Amino acid sequence: MRFTLNAPMNNETFELFFAMLSVALLAGTVVVLVARLLAGSQTWAASTIAAFRPFALPLAAAVTTTCLLGSLYFSEIVNYKPCRLCWFQRTMMYPLAIILIIAALRKDWKVKYYAVPLAAIGTVIASYHWLLERFPNLESGVCDVDVPCEFVWFELFGFVTLPFMALTAFIAVIVFTTLPTQPTEQ
Amino acid sequence: MNNPAKKKSSGSANKGWIVGAIIAIIVGAAAVVAITTSGSDSTSSDGLIEMGDISVKGDVLPAYNESEQNDPAIGMTAPVLTGKGFTGNTITTESTGTPMMLVFLAHWCPHCQREVPLLVEWNKSGKTPSGIDIIAVATGTDPANPNYPPSEWLAREEFPALWPVIADSKDKTAGDAFGLGGYPYFVLIDGSGKVVKRMSGEIPMDELTVLLTALLPA
Repeated sequence: MRFTLNAPMNNETFELFFAMLSVALLAGTVVVLVARLLAGSQTWAASTIAAFRPFALPLAAAVTTTCLLGSLYFSEIVNYKPCRLCWFQRTMMYPLAIILIIAALRKDWKVKYYAVPLAAIGTVIASYHWLLERFPNLESGVCDVDVPCEFVWFELFGFVTLPFMALTAFIAVIVFTTLPTQPTEQ
Repeated sequence: MNNPAKKKSSGSANKGWIVGAIIAIIVGAAAVVAITTSGSDSTSSDGLIEMGDISVKGDVLPAYNESEQNDPAIGMTAPVLTGKGFTGNTITTESTGTPMMLVFLAHWCPHCQREVPLLVEWNKSGKTPSGIDIIAVATGTDPANPNYPPSEWLAREEFPALWPVIADSKDKTAGDAFGLGGYPYFVLIDGSGKVVKRMSGEIPMDELTVLLTALLPA
């Protein structure tokens, strides 16, 4: 059964909400990454990492679960048909959500051995997809009749699109799941 | 020497800040969304026809496949389309003995969005060979997709002032009749109504000039 929303406001509301979360996630990820890099020499950075660490796995699980639910919302309710590259990203994101929920519940930091490869592949695909949206001629000069990958369903702030959201989530997963075991470990 | 109690207290304070920051970001995002989207309205297309009924006379062409070296549609009689323009005027592709080029465009396709200004510039610069009818078909139209409606997009590009545009049906009747194989899509038809060439993708204007010139009687 397929549901269709006819009120554009609902779609736009969710698009804006997810876009803002994505930008906030990217900013937060950069802060965590910088703190991690400086943790060996700066006290504030080490204490920030130590304080953030308990939230890292639950947050990674929350981010990927939000992506999973968000992608299903856009494809099944708003009817934004996923393209080929969207499907490739889904094959990385969906298992990530499941294993990160389990890892967060078990506080299992060894999940990085499974999560990072999936997120790294996802990062490469999402980056390419986002670039393809910017430069449609990267792949070909033709739009597929059904769902071309160059197709931009929506764009906010001039750069936030669906692949961009996936990209920030994949990068966040890599940064969050690879935090050092000890606050000062590099 | 570090004081463990102080360190623990500092860590707890940081955790509090982090939880607070995450909650603040989510609540802030929701608040901004609520404020900025309240009262928004969907735009109307001023009564223009964006998708219209199309009648097809003649056999439909096989689907175009760019990778096929020999296009099976070459030499076939092109089907004749009759449909409406954006303003409701009737447009037909019935052959009048003049060679014709049909251009199928989708409003959401970035390659079409790049090709249309080039076509307009091509016309304005006087490089378009005379003696050839050029008709566009706005197809693949979907109100849920970006850059809708096509009438606004093409008007912005000053396209309809140069060439007639047929609004295809919701089911792409006109596109399917010509074996649409990607956007933008070009079909060249000679004066006797036979298909001479089909191609898809962004075509450089110099190449188009050469192809169209070849269509003209010697």
